[in-house]
Amino acid sequence: MSAVVEHKISHPVVAAELIDVTKIYLQGEVEVRALNGLNMQIAEREFTALYGPSGSGKTTALNMIGGLDEPTSGTVIIGGQNLGRLNRKQLSHLRRDRIGFVFQAYNLLPVLSAYENAELVMSIQGVPESERRERVMGLLADVGLEGLEHRRPAEMSGGQQQRVAIARAIAANPSVVLADEPTANLDTETAAGLLDIMEQLNRDRGVTFLFSTHDPRVMERARRLIQLVDGQVADDERR
Amino acid sequence: MNKPKIAVMAWRNLWRNRRRTLITLSSIVFGVCLSVLFTAMQDYNWADMINLAARLGGGHVTVQHHEYLDTPSLTRTVRNAGRLADLASQDPRVERAVARISGQAMLATAGESYGAAFLAFDPAHEDVETLSLLEAIEDGDVELEGRTTGILLGTQLASNLGAEVGDRVVFTMTDKEGEIVSGLARLAGIIRTGSPSVDNGLALLPLSRVREVLNYGNDEATQVALFVGDQRDSASVARNISALIRENLGDDVAIQLASLPWDKVQPELATFIAMKVGGAVFMEIFIAILVAAGIFNTLFVNVMERLREFGIMLAVGFSQGVLFRLVMLESLWLGLVGLAAAFVVTAGPYLYLKKTGINMAAYLGEGGADVAGVAISSTLRVGIYVEHAIAIAVLALLATLLAGIYPAWRAGRVSPADTIRVV
Repeated sequence: MSAVVEHKISHPVVAAELIDVTKIYLQGEVEVRALNGLNMQIAEREFTALYGPSGSGKTTALNMIGGLDEPTSGTVIIGGQNLGRLNRKQLSHLRRDRIGFVFQAYNLLPVLSAYENAELVMSIQGVPESERRERVMGLLADVGLEGLEHRRPAEMSGGQQQRVAIARAIAANPSVVLADEPTANLDTETAAGLLDIMEQLNRDRGVTFLFSTHDPRVMERARRLIQLVDGQVADDERR
Repeated sequence: MNKPKIAVMAWRNLWRNRRRTLITLSSIVFGVCLSVLFTAMQDYNWADMINLAARLGGGHVTVQHHEYLDTPSLTRTVRNAGRLADLASQDPRVERAVARISGQAMLATAGESYGAAFLAFDPAHEDVETLSLLEAIEDGDVELEGRTTGILLGTQLASNLGAEVGDRVVFTMTDKEGEIVSGLARLAGIIRTGSPSVDNGLALLPLSRVREVLNYGNDEATQVALFVGDQRDSASVARNISALIRENLGDDVAIQLASLPWDKVQPELATFIAMKVGGAVFMEIFIAILVAAGIFNTLFVNVMERLREFGIMLAVGFSQGVLFRLVMLESLWLGLVGLAAAFVVTAGPYLYLKKTGINMAAYLGEGGADVAGVAISSTLRVGIYVEHAIAIAVLALLATLLAGIYPAWRAGRVSPADTIRVV
């Protein structure tokens, strides 16, 4: 029994794993090797930032983990499931149930209110309305949007929209939240507030965050920094 | 995602580009309005012409000697017209049944003689509902059986004969035995229908007098004309009357008789209407294609402008099927709103044309116009059959949905990685 406990302590549960992943794109007739045998593990409850120069493979790595793109070779595992063995429908279910996305450009659906955007994923999961309401109202309060539930994206500031995007990403209790430059379009104060929220969600709710970023404000807060260069891990620093 | 939510999203998406949606809706409204008015005009005009043709002579269904259609002759008669009329009345769709004799006669006055078609009818049992010519008497009256036998003549025929009301007219025919027989009549009235073939060459005579002259039996006639409430029932009533004759009068009698719907008796009119209906269907399909092309354009542009949004939706867990349904629902909303708007826009002109109509006499000329002897009404009116209105609505909706299929499929085929750029 004690051996099992010790095992858990020394090997935290893996939320996402890339094993020898290579991705080759064709740009015209030129082959572009975006990922070059990338190996990476993201454990549950981590607060990790991927950084590196443009073209280093950050986009491609997140696309792989999010099941938005297929590797040319190698294996992508999310929550124990090999994505290469899933069909389109299973992949969309996996994205719905296990992954949350926060995009640089917020990417809320313009015809839905803040409340409706936040409940979107739960809605397609078929979560009962009463449960959705309770969870979404709590989340919107957590991200400081109490009273703005009925506003459409066009009626909110960039910071407010990004908070809705965070609420949408974590509403369905995903294993991992993939955040694309979430602070890139925000001023310092708003970005700090947003990072506070994500840190709090990571700490209190155990949500795993994987950022891709150039923003030093994010990198300062990250407890693990992975540097990508030429589609491979160049440095992996834990704090 | 639950269906009502998708329906709400689809509805809101429809109004994101209000001007574009309104332009598309206007094309649906225009197409449906045009189709409804065009079809209503045709439905009314064809029904009017068919009813008029029926009331001009043979009824909607004609029961006659089986060889009469190919070789019309006064020797080919039905001997038990009254019994046949009673039998026909067993079909509830038959509203009136009357015996007639029709054929050719030579008409002569003191100065002139002209050949003409004649129709002998029973003035005591017929009125304008079974014989429309009676409402076209412009001089004299329908009293044919006064002191002497009366005759009604088309206005041009009377003029050709130099006959005026009260003048004597001798009618000469060939009887059943091939003998030339004649009768004397006085011109009781003059008919002006606007149909050149009627005004130039038709005479109406009393049935009893013609029976007498032709040596027919008391219940003998060349045909029994049946009138139905809805002309579209003609073929089915004709079949039913044939069956009733066979059941009640036996095969020997049935084989001698033919029960024919109006389109068999008046093939020229039937061909004319069929050609017009065919042309109208072609035109309506053409309109539907034009409307569908407009809708396709709107939906496709809508989808192409929202590829990133569809990428986001796929990324957060929407399935291709849900996106397909979303765009198809947008298409459905467009169709439903278009139909509702078309209903509102079409109602005014439709009701005006139904109740008042437009006088087209100036375009038809003084003499009017006819098709196969049936005068074309100079007032443009409408009256659409319910099933045709439903068919247009279904066709418009179907065109809208068909136009949405490719854009809907395209929405689901978006590559989230290409459209979003996660990093």
